[in-house]
Amino acid sequence: MANRRHFLKLSLAAGLAAQPVFTFAKSDDLLVACPTAMSGTFSAIGKYSDLGIKLAVEQQGSVQGRTLKYRMIDTEAKPATAVRRVQEAIQQDGVRFFPGALLSAESLAMSKEIHKSGGLLITNAGADELTGVECNRSTFRWALPTYSIIQGSARPLIELLPQAKRWYTITPQYVFGEDLLRNAKALFQEKGIEHVGNSYHSLTEREFSGHLTNALASKADVLFLLNYGAQASDALRQAISFGLKEKMTIIVAAASGLEQFESLGTDICDGVYFGAVYWHTIDTAFNRTFVEQVRAKFGISPNYSLAAPYINMRMLIDAMDKAKSTEPREVIGALEGMVFEGLTGTEEVRREDHQVLRDFYLIKGKSKQNMRDKDDYADIIHSGRFFLAPEQTNCKMA
Amino acid sequence: MNLYLLQLVNGIGLGMIYFVLAVGLSIIFGLLRFVNFSHGAFFLLGAYGCYQLVQMGVDFWWTLLLGPLIVGVLAWLIEVFLFRKVYHFPHEIHILITVGLAMVAQEAVILYWGPVGANVSPPELLQGVVVWDSFIYPKYRLFVIGAGLALALVLGLLLEGTRLGAIVRAGSESTEMISLLGVNIQRVFAAVFALGAATAALAGVLAAPIRGVDPFMGVEVLGIAFVAVVVGGMGSFAGALAGGLLVGIVQSMMSSIWPPGASLMIYVAMALVLLLRPNGLLGRA
Repeated sequence: MANRRHFLKLSLAAGLAAQPVFTFAKSDDLLVACPTAMSGTFSAIGKYSDLGIKLAVEQQGSVQGRTLKYRMIDTEAKPATAVRRVQEAIQQDGVRFFPGALLSAESLAMSKEIHKSGGLLITNAGADELTGVECNRSTFRWALPTYSIIQGSARPLIELLPQAKRWYTITPQYVFGEDLLRNAKALFQEKGIEHVGNSYHSLTEREFSGHLTNALASKADVLFLLNYGAQASDALRQAISFGLKEKMTIIVAAASGLEQFESLGTDICDGVYFGAVYWHTIDTAFNRTFVEQVRAKFGISPNYSLAAPYINMRMLIDAMDKAKSTEPREVIGALEGMVFEGLTGTEEVRREDHQVLRDFYLIKGKSKQNMRDKDDYADIIHSGRFFLAPEQTNCKMA
Repeated sequence: MNLYLLQLVNGIGLGMIYFVLAVGLSIIFGLLRFVNFSHGAFFLLGAYGCYQLVQMGVDFWWTLLLGPLIVGVLAWLIEVFLFRKVYHFPHEIHILITVGLAMVAQEAVILYWGPVGANVSPPELLQGVVVWDSFIYPKYRLFVIGAGLALALVLGLLLEGTRLGAIVRAGSESTEMISLLGVNIQRVFAAVFALGAATAALAGVLAAPIRGVDPFMGVEVLGIAFVAVVVGGMGSFAGALAGGLLVGIVQSMMSSIWPPGASLMIYVAMALVLLLRPNGLLGRA
């Protein structure tokens, strides 16, 4: 049975176990950690995120007199694992800065934990809650809300194809999908579009032929895929095999990045529209330089999973320089309202909800013979900024 | 054409893929009483074998033969050098070892081909769709239905009309009796295991142009394969066909009736079948 002496022994042991925190405090190194999926279904994200963070850290070297170091944290795409590993990084290594997260569920879970510890999270996840009802002072988002995705993808296409009045949607039944659908319905109503049907599917669905048969039977003009990643790829691949490209226009609300085009190939992507939060041919000075650097160092063109953690790290460094400090509280203050040159041009961190205001892109897949290089899968045909006013996001900054 | 009729045809197409996937699992369990959680890994290797061969310039039609052949030989080696030594252990050990093997296969695929998936185009002859009134269906999926039927026919003849089939059927009743009759049962075990794995690989090759290839496809299909086997009756060849078709039709029809529950209803159908017939549609007590 535990007694006071035993308790004191345990306390001493706990104090010794926490030694790395004090060691860190004395060190000149500034350790940041990128919490993302390094294994499992989403391991590709981790692979590219590692390259993005690595590039930014190596380019910078040190910030405010402290040598920059980074560590990848494998969240396994599981919120519980993400929280546990973030707690370990905070308690054992004194990490306070977490740039480069990408997945929604784990970002929401980590956001609370990092906020509680007084740290700073920069995420690229899609869940609107991050800069909405669950926003907090420790969390910033470079990715775009579902409102921006729908407005930036469907609105320009509606204007491009005024005769296409009948739209069919296929939607994954979870928060991100529901939010996309809600925003799409609002846009359809505003633009006089007839929403001829929707097929919900689960997050584990890989077979879409039944849903595509529904879409075919609806005689829609446009098939709007609101799913993401591998599910969007499967739905699109199967839609092409069902001959839907010849029957209707197909648009994917949010492409997951260049690797999605590489895995699908030009035969499938040619003529298909995609919403994109990042595309490597964005014509800004910052992006052109970034693409050159990535190609020189890694021999690949950057995709979203590489670019987003890179710019998160750059934002963090810029904010530290602006704050002239590496204390999270000071850096958060510097980030709020910060205007900086980013991948998409001049970007701004909105003070009220910590959402980065920047462009969203509509791109169109091109045929193999029109590709200028092996990564030139699509042309940007529209870009623009679409954001709800801060008071409409339901963010009450904690 | 009526939407539900379209979904019925589509469900049959889906069901044939599930049959090809599940039949090997069923045969292996029927004879070896071996719960093979690495079945999805053979599906995965078949799909990636097809992808690699096509990348090397081999015609898709050849991959239908080469993919299952290569995986069948690999499975035969695994049976001889690993599984044969663990048949006498309880099912829990079988699960542990086969899950481990599946993970090794998945990680090996990631190491060699990377974590990002890839596309496999159907052969030129099977690209495009068949249009009949308002019925539109991919030519390739029609081919898969035909291939599934052909496989069912060949396996049916093999199991019902040959000496090997008689041994397998008798072996599924009593392996000891077959051994006492002078049959080298270990050789039969190896052959059946290789055959089961080869059919999983064939399913992988057939599925590659439909869903592409990615390192996690083996794990994803394993659940469906088990459902088809359990619904049809474990160890029953005809049961795998019935189970596969039932699962495919339920999934497809539910896509129109209740889309969010299309996948869920597969498991509801399984529960219903097991309530009414605990040994599956065509299984024996």
